[in-house]
Amino acid sequence: MINRKIKRAIVPYLLILPACVLLLIFLVGLINGIVQGFGIMPFLGMYEPTLDYYIQAFTRSDLSNSILYSLYLALASTAIAIVIGVALSAALCKIQASRAMQLLGLQVPIMTAHMLVAICIMCLLSGTGLIQRLLVAVGLESVASCIPSVVGNVSGYGILGVYAWKEIPWIAFCVFTIMSGVSSKFGEAASVLGAGTFRTFFEVTLPLCRGAIVKAALVVFAFVFGSYEIPFLLGPTLPKALPILAYIEFQDPNIVNRCYSMALNGVTTLLCTVLAIVYFVILQREKKA
Amino acid sequence: VGAVLKKGLPANKRVKNGAKRPGKLSVLFVAIHFVLIFVPLLVLVVWSFSAYWPWPDLLPQTLSLKGYEEVFAARNNTWGVLAQSVGIALAVAALSTVFAAMASRAVAHYKFGGKEVFKFCTILPYLIPTTVFAMGVQVIFLNVGLARTVLGVVIAHCIVALPYAITIMSDITAAAGTKLEQAASSLGARPVSVVFHVTLPAIAPGLLSAFCMSYILSFSQYFLTLLIGGGAVKTFAVTMFPYLSGGDRTVAAAYGVIFLVVTLVVFFFFELLLKRFGYKNSQDLYTN
Repeated sequence: MINRKIKRAIVPYLLILPACVLLLIFLVGLINGIVQGFGIMPFLGMYEPTLDYYIQAFTRSDLSNSILYSLYLALASTAIAIVIGVALSAALCKIQASRAMQLLGLQVPIMTAHMLVAICIMCLLSGTGLIQRLLVAVGLESVASCIPSVVGNVSGYGILGVYAWKEIPWIAFCVFTIMSGVSSKFGEAASVLGAGTFRTFFEVTLPLCRGAIVKAALVVFAFVFGSYEIPFLLGPTLPKALPILAYIEFQDPNIVNRCYSMALNGVTTLLCTVLAIVYFVILQREKKA
Repeated sequence: VGAVLKKGLPANKRVKNGAKRPGKLSVLFVAIHFVLIFVPLLVLVVWSFSAYWPWPDLLPQTLSLKGYEEVFAARNNTWGVLAQSVGIALAVAALSTVFAAMASRAVAHYKFGGKEVFKFCTILPYLIPTTVFAMGVQVIFLNVGLARTVLGVVIAHCIVALPYAITIMSDITAAAGTKLEQAASSLGARPVSVVFHVTLPAIAPGLLSAFCMSYILSFSQYFLTLLIGGGAVKTFAVTMFPYLSGGDRTVAAAYGVIFLVVTLVVFFFFELLLKRFGYKNSQDLYTN
């Protein structure tokens, strides 16, 4: 009996052991970066913690501009993804989308790598892209020459386009299952009671899907804020997205510059840890409900 | 009551008739979505076969396999790189699926101290970007000799894939419960046969989805592979990336099409397997 109790106490720790090892490596990497952001680099003989690099991250214009630019990209992409993704999910519920439609319309874009979408959008909208060719073909040459090339444009419309292509289906995917359950269960009740389609949607369906929407949106925001590939391929020379600038400072032959890189990463870490806490709180609430 | 019911019925019908119009809107919306998803992919395929496509022609003047010949030119060793990428992705998928299944079992069926902390930590790599992790961990991997090795890249990829695999596994593990296992063992089944005949079949759909997701995540990693692999570990994503930022768009598109095929073929293969298991909606595994 005692033997069995001990077994039940030890087994869970054995089960989580491999995951813990991986998470430990993750945390050690993270903390190692954070420590360097405070100017502590033992292999260079730097032991005094300082806030200089963080202060510069917010005051040196190139650093602070790239924080703002990444914030803009992340906020805009998330907003686009939420609004259109939720609408798409609602439309798919309405037409009772088949499994094949969900597979092709939602899961295929989720499984497609971001960088592939970047090439697609270059084929469509770079200086000699297909959309410009189409405009010329229908006689709108002046409009075609007005469209700025998707590569290096400061508005980042190409970057936002790539994220829209990828993240709208992601949001719809995360919301669809719950939404179709909700609308079949409560939607009918609400409409029998006389609520209009839109009222039902905004006052019944949407509040019940809120947890799923917020969770999916947090993942989108964190991903866009911290990703390197798309702004590298499509972004402007200035301002640079935060991860790109962080990598440039990281690679600088002057190793002290790594402190700037790590301070920028520290900003990302802080922001994303807050997002993780929100995500966790929602998760815990759902488990209780 | 009868009067209310009689009144209620047509009202109900009216709502359904009224709902037809937004239905059309929904069809239109979904149709536009499908066009926006598949036209860019189609354009990519056309571009990969184009040999000469002068401005402002709508279609390429000549088609050829030039792009693919360039990709598979002997000096690029593309087959070797592909094999290595698939190998790494398979290893990552297998490891993170097994680790996630184990961790989910502990969380779903056991009480233990530190459970909430553990659960929170499994979310962290989901929300903290890989760029931050990659730059922080590179020095450590260099110090312990894991940088520039396949093993190092596999470990790093596993860390990225683990939270996705755990998200997929945790609900299905909780739903599977332990009652059937207890019933089987009280009827005298040996522990090994309980695992193979009861536990694994119950969570098989989750295992397949987690495997597939982790495979594709690993195959698509660029930045992390670049930093940890340091150019010594060549994966398809790392080899392909420089072609995207400049140079010949036909070659870039050819790389893109191969990438797309390799990932989607695996994805559809797993979807077919899932269907075999009678799992109607793999979506239920990711969300909740």
